[in-house]
Amino acid sequence: MDKGSLNKKEPIKKKDLMKIKEAIWQNKRVMDSLKLVGKQVAMTLVAVLIVMIFLAASGFSPDAVLIGLNRAITKDIAGSVRWAAPLMLAGVAVCIPFKAAVFNLGVDGQIYMGAIAASTVMLALPEELGKWGLLAAFLAAMVGGALFALIAAAMKVYFNTDMIVSTLLLNFVAKLFTEYIAADALRDADAAIQMNASKMFPESMWLPRLAYFAPSSANVGIYIAIAITLITAFIFYKTTLGYEIKLVGTNPNFARYGGMNANRVILKTMALSGAVAGLIGVIEVSAVQHRLLAGFNPSFGFDGIVVSLLANNNPFGVIFTSLFFGILKNGGSNMERLTEVPQVITQITMAIIIITVSSNIVVRKIKLRRRMKKDGSGSAV
Amino acid sequence: MAYAIELQNITKRFPGVIANDQVTILVGEGEIHGLIGENGAGKSTIMNILYGLTQADEGIVRIFGKEQFIASPNDAIRLGIGMIHQHFMLMPNQTVLRNIILGSAPRKGPVIDEKKARIQIEKIMEKYCMQVNLDAVVSQISVGEKQKVEIIKALYREVRILILDEPTAVLTPAETDALIETMRKLKEQGCTIVFITHKLKEVLAATDRVTVMRKGVVTGFGETKDMNVRKLSELIVGREVNFDIPFGAYCPGETLLELSGVSTAPRGGRMPVKEINLKVKRGEIVGVAGVEGNGQSDLIEVIAGLIAADRGGITLCEKDISKLSIRQRRLNGLSHIPEDRLKTGTSTVCSISENLLLNKYFLTPFSRHGIFNHRHIKQHSKLLCDKFLVKTPDPSYELKTLSGGNMQKVVFAREFDTEPSLMIAAQPTRGVDIGAIEYIHGKLAELRDSGKGILLISAELDEIMALSDRILVMYEGEIVAEFHRGEADEYEIGAYMLGAKRQVAHSG
Repeated sequence: MDKGSLNKKEPIKKKDLMKIKEAIWQNKRVMDSLKLVGKQVAMTLVAVLIVMIFLAASGFSPDAVLIGLNRAITKDIAGSVRWAAPLMLAGVAVCIPFKAAVFNLGVDGQIYMGAIAASTVMLALPEELGKWGLLAAFLAAMVGGALFALIAAAMKVYFNTDMIVSTLLLNFVAKLFTEYIAADALRDADAAIQMNASKMFPESMWLPRLAYFAPSSANVGIYIAIAITLITAFIFYKTTLGYEIKLVGTNPNFARYGGMNANRVILKTMALSGAVAGLIGVIEVSAVQHRLLAGFNPSFGFDGIVVSLLANNNPFGVIFTSLFFGILKNGGSNMERLTEVPQVITQITMAIIIITVSSNIVVRKIKLRRRMKKDGSGSAV
Repeated sequence: MAYAIELQNITKRFPGVIANDQVTILVGEGEIHGLIGENGAGKSTIMNILYGLTQADEGIVRIFGKEQFIASPNDAIRLGIGMIHQHFMLMPNQTVLRNIILGSAPRKGPVIDEKKARIQIEKIMEKYCMQVNLDAVVSQISVGEKQKVEIIKALYREVRILILDEPTAVLTPAETDALIETMRKLKEQGCTIVFITHKLKEVLAATDRVTVMRKGVVTGFGETKDMNVRKLSELIVGREVNFDIPFGAYCPGETLLELSGVSTAPRGGRMPVKEINLKVKRGEIVGVAGVEGNGQSDLIEVIAGLIAADRGGITLCEKDISKLSIRQRRLNGLSHIPEDRLKTGTSTVCSISENLLLNKYFLTPFSRHGIFNHRHIKQHSKLLCDKFLVKTPDPSYELKTLSGGNMQKVVFAREFDTEPSLMIAAQPTRGVDIGAIEYIHGKLAELRDSGKGILLISAELDEIMALSDRILVMYEGEIVAEFHRGEADEYEIGAYMLGAKRQVAHSG
């Protein structure tokens, strides 16, 4: 219908020309995104090459990184999946508030609070409840994470506290609180003296591991993570809340002028973010550790920031970047296990890969500038 | 005649459009050259090519007779070309001095030699008779002064060609006069100026020669003294322009909006309103005239609900709305075209569709239980774009792909679509081209004739006089005069605007 009206306004020749251009352009967008994926793969290969040179220069066997990564995508893919699940959730937890221009650096703290809430519930409820107990623990974890996230959000809304500072500092509160709970309040009297851990949860309440991947600790958390990511995409693109988040994130003045309550949107996104972070906590303790262990969280929250940024805060992208990070993390530990490369060097190599891959954007910009200059000298002659 | 700028047969294509099609512009040395055309006619594109912000697909650029390839603004500055953008590119929390020397500061060893810079700048200011306080922080100076800073910044870089991209769009009439005066001074000193605008009066007043563009091609070129308003507007729009607004007879109905004794608290350098009494009736356009910064912003925002009234009552359709939220006021029949469409009226990185949705996204059938009906939204946005003549291939495009006039049409479409009983129209045609002005004025008249009320706030006295059934004049936060259509001419209103005169009693 609209094409008909367009026809009336413009002469036919011009309209056809526009249409052809349109088709080329849209095709170009597809081509561009394919190229981007290709480049990402190429950058990974380059990164591996750099790491090999680095290893050789440091006096180690350069193929150590290949051995580690190869195992992470073949024999030990289970390990990669195990790490991908919490990373995916952490990526989502970061990207929800980020869409509303709110930086949640406190995902780690919210993970701890979720884990504490879940552990308390699982230890308090009778064993016979089985999976119902686990469900209660999941709910408790989400509420725990959300409430903890809301502390920072409320401070922002009522006292205009900088959220980067408040969320970051609250991490320490949560981490130390977890140590207290694990080492004192819920401590297992039979545990080794040097170990700060609660009693084991009743086995009936454990989150199932994936039988296919046994004996790895890869668990159904990966399905939960994918489901949560898809739900987040649904919220972003199909709901009024997603629209509010986008408007508050892009122009808060505009949102307010239209009658939106930006504060309420900040509170909502932080609550959602905290709930997702809480899920990481309950999955880690109920499927992997089976008890509340102080320091169970190797700062998933900060990895989540990189996962989310690399995916350009797009939930679908988070699925892929978190898998990539899972492989990297697992590849690193395999490299450590299978070769004589020490842990510190392994961490450096993984950091090199992350930096190289994320530098993709910067490289593209440099190239563009160089091309412009080249064209300049060419035609000025 | 020697040309400062020769742009020969420039063609520039963007996805879906040809922004410049075989455009030739010749600007003589030491002249003020007007470049006019509607938004989206390709004026900014051709100037961006000249300034190296983008590159032409075809064509030749000659500067002072020599063929050049301008790959970046740095190249342009090296060739002596300076550009002043419509939206200022200044660092708000730095001093004027630092903004001027930014990027080309004189050095004394590793540190900036501010003393030397100050002497140089003062010399420039003396030469061109421009005075700005160099130690003021940019965020605290007025728009007109910011513009001066931009010009001095360009002169400091020793430009010989100055491009002014719609410099008057944000200026008050007095500031505009001062700018034109400055342009003449620059010309006397041998500067070549390209003046982009779509205000015909200014073109006729300030330029020596003029080039007119429409839809990416040059439609007219010649000496300004051979031109007049009618001839120019026909070249710009491509048809005859109707300057008369088609109004019905003035027969006001019951009161829609009433403000009684409304005052706001002073905040951060803004002029508050004091004891405002005003009424807007059905079938009436009430225009608020005044020099900008005399309380108009507070007046608009206190009615729309963006700020709270300190004292006084606001009723809409006999309902007290002074305590209601912004959304509730909107749901009660208020709509609002904001003063600043980029800062408040739109979100440029969101799609056109998303911008059109703002005041109704939570209503059925656009969404149900918080979930969008994207098919309906798409249809509705297409319909609105067609109805309000928004030029875009598809409403899913980002808003920033539109020209200023088309952005304003999007804002207008959104606010018109809810069938408001009262519309606050603040600067509805600011930075908008002739075709869009004609269209928006027509729509406002249509809204009035259908029995709705309009409160029009505009810095353009011409616009107020052309549209308003009643005119209120604001000075220092108060309403100082009221006239019916035809009761006063612009000089009389101007005297009230400047505070030189004041009516004793007014009912509002």
